[in-house]
Amino acid sequence: MRFRVRHVTRFAYDREAYESHNEVRLRPRESPGQRTIGFRLEVIPRAAVIDYRDSFGNIVHALSVHEAHRELVVVADSLIERTAPRALSAPRHPFGEFLAGDALRSQLEYDFLHPSRYVPLSEPLKKLFWMARPRMNEPVVDYVCRIVGWIRGQFAYEPGATNVRSDLNQILQAGGGVCQDFAHLMIGILRLAGVPARYVSGYLAPVVDSEHRRPLGEQASHAWIEALIPDAGWIGFDPTHGARAGDHHLRVAVGRDYGDVPPLSGVYRSAGGTQTMLVSLDISESEEPASSPIDPGANQQ
Amino acid sequence: MFDEMFAAGGGPHPWCAPVASSLLGMGGAEFASLRSQAERMLLRMGVTFNVYGQTEGAERIFPFDPIPRIIDAETWQTLEAGLIQRVRALNAFVADIYGEAHILKDGLVPHDLILESSQYRRGAVGITPPGGIFITVAGIDLVRGADGRFYVLEDNARTPSGVSYVIENRLVTTRLMPAVLRASRVRSVEGYPADLLASLTELAPAGVSRPTVALLTPGPFNSAFFEHVFLSQQMGVELVEGRDLVCVDHKLWMKTVHGLRQIHVLYRRVDDDFLDPVVFRHDSMLGVAGLTAAIRAGSVTIANGIGTGVADDKAVFAYTPEMIRYYLGEHPILPIVETHLLREPEVRAMVLRDLDRFVIKPTGASGGYGVVIGPRASDAELAATRKLIEANPKDFIAQPVVSLSVHPTLVDNGEGGVAPAARHVDLRPFVIMGTRPRVLAGGLTRVALREGSLVVNSSQGGGSKDTWVLDGPC
Amino acid sequence: MLRRVANHLYWTARYLERAEWRARLVDVNYHLLVEIPAGPSGAWGAMLAITGDRDDFDSRYAADDEASVLGYYAFDEKNPSSIRSCIGFARENCSALRHRISSELWLEINTLYLDTQRWSSAMLEAVGVYGFFSELRERFYRIAGVIQTTISRDVGFDFLAIGRSLECAENISRLLDVKYHVLLPKLEDVGSPLDLSQWAALLRSASALEAYRRSHGNLIRADKVVEVLLFDASFPRAARFCIDRMGSALGRVEAAGMHSNGVDRIPSAHALGVRLRAGAADTVIESGLHEYLLGIQEDCARIGEEVSAEYLKFE
Repeated sequence: MRFRVRHVTRFAYDREAYESHNEVRLRPRESPGQRTIGFRLEVIPRAAVIDYRDSFGNIVHALSVHEAHRELVVVADSLIERTAPRALSAPRHPFGEFLAGDALRSQLEYDFLHPSRYVPLSEPLKKLFWMARPRMNEPVVDYVCRIVGWIRGQFAYEPGATNVRSDLNQILQAGGGVCQDFAHLMIGILRLAGVPARYVSGYLAPVVDSEHRRPLGEQASHAWIEALIPDAGWIGFDPTHGARAGDHHLRVAVGRDYGDVPPLSGVYRSAGGTQTMLVSLDISESEEPASSPIDPGANQQ
Repeated sequence: MFDEMFAAGGGPHPWCAPVASSLLGMGGAEFASLRSQAERMLLRMGVTFNVYGQTEGAERIFPFDPIPRIIDAETWQTLEAGLIQRVRALNAFVADIYGEAHILKDGLVPHDLILESSQYRRGAVGITPPGGIFITVAGIDLVRGADGRFYVLEDNARTPSGVSYVIENRLVTTRLMPAVLRASRVRSVEGYPADLLASLTELAPAGVSRPTVALLTPGPFNSAFFEHVFLSQQMGVELVEGRDLVCVDHKLWMKTVHGLRQIHVLYRRVDDDFLDPVVFRHDSMLGVAGLTAAIRAGSVTIANGIGTGVADDKAVFAYTPEMIRYYLGEHPILPIVETHLLREPEVRAMVLRDLDRFVIKPTGASGGYGVVIGPRASDAELAATRKLIEANPKDFIAQPVVSLSVHPTLVDNGEGGVAPAARHVDLRPFVIMGTRPRVLAGGLTRVALREGSLVVNSSQGGGSKDTWVLDGPC
Repeated sequence: MLRRVANHLYWTARYLERAEWRARLVDVNYHLLVEIPAGPSGAWGAMLAITGDRDDFDSRYAADDEASVLGYYAFDEKNPSSIRSCIGFARENCSALRHRISSELWLEINTLYLDTQRWSSAMLEAVGVYGFFSELRERFYRIAGVIQTTISRDVGFDFLAIGRSLECAENISRLLDVKYHVLLPKLEDVGSPLDLSQWAALLRSASALEAYRRSHGNLIRADKVVEVLLFDASFPRAARFCIDRMGSALGRVEAAGMHSNGVDRIPSAHALGVRLRAGAADTVIESGLHEYLLGIQEDCARIGEEVSAEYLKFE
């Protein structure tokens, strides 16, 4: 199925800003099961834009604005084609066997097995890991599926308990958090288990009631994880919903944790004052055929 | 240990004969006069450096010893070839690390060694500078062992400094002992700034007919500011600070009285972390926002590239002979000082058993800071070092204590006079890599002024000598 | 030339000039009062009014007696316009450019700065007011000489000239105002020996006495003094001369750029130049000298803003 995503980030400045340099990670990356058919980035006021791939393969747009402005608006329009994730019919690798390859994996998948800024492998995390640790005969994929449900049961979805800069110790302490925290938590547990795990930022498209075409669920910027399952590759899991990532999960970028994939970050100059940010997201299922108004791969200059 | 001037029999090495015989003809008064003349010249020339952590007014003349250190032509030929080989391999390594990382995939160097290195910069992944040159200027520290052979002690591929002293020292010697200098047929060093400018210009983005080069300095409070001023003046390029620069349309410009002027090549003496607040430290005022994007856009080249510090990592150093084989398919010309990786349990155990016999170095540091010289350290220092190693073994390497060669150096003889006495020296040659390599003939000979001391760094009480490379057989 | 560098050169020159004029201002007032047997009360206070420092002074000093006011103008660290402060700012600006200016210039400015650190009331008393100001004058002459002989005639030199000229024009108008405000004569005093000696003192403080005599002879008349100090084309401290010199320097700076198209980038400089070239002393005195002088100061402020916006601002 096809999804149209319109992600608008609006910055307002109470004192005029006159030089702004930013990096955005808003263009969804390709993967088996997800293809970006069209993408357009628009910046108001006019910005110079180039793009490149970062060390995780994410597509980054570097924008710089030189006109004086009281407002900066970045609009990312994507047309994404998503196929249903295939069933996990991978051979079952029991943990005992899996761990034998740990030393090698620790090198090849270094980034996704070691602590990172938001994923410290702290004592409280180790305690939590131990509570639901894998059994030696348990297949890796079963363990991961078990954990994704288990976490959801252990912690509450509680906006306000943490903030965007909280590392996983925060949700451990508070007992609740938001999708970012659930993702970091699950990544931490999997890394302790020796399963390479990475952070995914993206969107959760609303599930539409087929009769009335009204969204039943939420639509949001969302964070979940991917675990490297033996013989299956990187498979998505959503600890906030306690289940495997489905065909409404639209990936934008991956990294070790939130710190690697902020949707927009940068610096700006102004004569003081404050910046406020507003994000609006509009996701709809698209019935359009291949020739859609979005130019595939064109960027606004 | 090896004596740079005198051979085993007591007479001077053949290449040192002219200088040795003129020294023999001098007494305490002449030595004192030589030294004070040199000091006056350096003061007038303003050859200073600031020591970190001190306020303005703490500028010091980098101590200079008038007795030149001499290297014969044949020895230099080998050194030069070895240095070029080394920098070519280091360049290939850095390009590989920020590109396909074959050396990691092929298992020659552990992934974590690189990814955990304090100098590894993710923000450099995917950047491909012109010609694949990441390291434009390298300073390779060499020591001469008891066997008379030169060994590589460490590489400096980030923002190596000291070359201005090389040129100023030669100016002083030219005035102090013109006859001996002329008679010895010493290779000139004055072409360095021109060579550097030529190499920098060669790095300009394609299609620019008259590239503008500039030198980025952190400013007057930086310990190497004198060198920044010196080089910018010698090369005839603008000396800029972060405040003078702006990125517009993904190009780099400097703010001049007549408007913005584009810079095509930036020789930057500012650390990676402070280069671009968008990608690195957000609070940095020393760099310019958007520089990394401009580099990726191909409109500006910086020298040295971002992330070259990974080649300076002391743990990476242990792999450099293999790198030469891996990237160049050649046998290393210059041996390195034996380097033990304390991350390996057996190696660590071996070193900890005899900690007082080794030199312990933190992998990510520079300038000699954090180095513990086993035989000179107190019991308390050794105990503290042992603790640090056990806590973070990956952060340290160990090298045997190399008995650095010695060279006659003018010292106070305690009776109010000045006389030559043996002091330990090392050598830092400078290699420039443009479309072709250019090696400065000689380099900075650093001397530990305290008797028996092995620490030659300027920030910790070292001095320097003029280095002569002879132009032919003596 | 980098804007930051030009900025530092311009302000070095302005602060040095400002320090020198502060000294001249205090010097002339001192001598004007010395010549009056029983001086008008509040003469020093009136001077504070001219320089706009009354409130600042009152916040830190009990009374506006001679010693306090002298101290305030000469070495009060909290007064940003004191001679000591101005020299400090000049040195600060200069310090950022040490590698671009001659070592002689740096040495002169730095040594002067170090000396100001030792200024105090006790020192002033020991040396004497006359001695203090003569010695200071010598130092400023030396600095000017070093600049003339050791700085290459490039765009940097032009910005030194622009800064100095602008500051000079602004300050000579202030100096003239002192006579009018401090010692506004009663009608019957005009032309009296006291009045004339005061004019002479003013000319002396501007080092303009000889220039005056060469142009206008021994008889000192108010309108002739105004003529020399404001409208003279060849006396180096005359406002007109300064603005002309500034205009030439601005022209050279503009011509040095690659895209010079003859457009007047500093219109206020051009306008003031025209005014001063057309000025006549008697007209100005008749219509109000004080207002005219204020007008010059306003124009100079505007020129400063335009120069800054066009050539110097970089952050």
